[in-house]
Amino acid sequence: MVPQQLLQPRPARILVVEDEVLVRALIAEELRLAGFSVIEANRADDALTYIRAGQQVDLVFSDIQTPGLLDGLQLAETLRDKYPDIPVILTSGNDDPKYVGILGTFVPKPYDITKTIELMSAILAQKSPGER
Amino acid sequence: MSDPCILIVEKDLLVRTPLAEYLRECGYLVLEASSAGDARTLLEDGSRRIDIVLAEVKSGEPSGFALASWVRTHLPNTQVVLAGTVATAAEKAGDICQEGPALSKPYDHRLVLDDIQRLLAARDRNDRT
Repeated sequence: MVPQQLLQPRPARILVVEDEVLVRALIAEELRLAGFSVIEANRADDALTYIRAGQQVDLVFSDIQTPGLLDGLQLAETLRDKYPDIPVILTSGNDDPKYVGILGTFVPKPYDITKTIELMSAILAQKSPGER
Repeated sequence: MSDPCILIVEKDLLVRTPLAEYLRECGYLVLEASSAGDARTLLEDGSRRIDIVLAEVKSGEPSGFALASWVRTHLPNTQVVLAGTVATAAEKAGDICQEGPALSKPYDHRLVLDDIQRLLAARDRNDRT
């Protein structure tokens, strides 16, 4: 008999990259309430280190302006090249979405959390269970 | 009564995330900060009561010690547990966090949980008396 836990799909893991701690804590809490598992990074560098360490990530939600060596656009570019199975949603209060191009979906700040979660769910639904 | 809230202050995402996930699985509400400065922002925000701060000693500027001192002055009902690798730092932590033991890194998740449960139980006993 297979334990019930093994039959249930694991929650999708969303890596949130945001250096404003109050903003990050808010979106992380809402995502957890929606049933996601959330990893909180304050820098794109840390996010990439986490992924390179082999940790499971199903979607990245990143601010474009982040401290450190990489910004959100460079993170998205690296993920597109090295980890194409990880979809990226970029957000910013300043950047013109045309700069985002094919790197990911753009959500302008301030964003509606409910609509953003719906967008994440829709993107994750397009991934097959085997990819998760 | 809401779940006790733990604030983890740790710059290394690969250390902080599994510890936070472990404590969430144990039923705690967990907030995460990558620096003592961010931790103080969350503490000053005041939108939720934070019961325990679990901070790395070397958490940038301000240090974990400075954060602990600030918490003791401004939020006397919040307990602080400092973690570090240096023995003397652990001794100083014991002085700063009067009720809180210092933990060694790397974290043993079970030991962290034991300490948190003990601190919360002691606080509840004090609240009743």
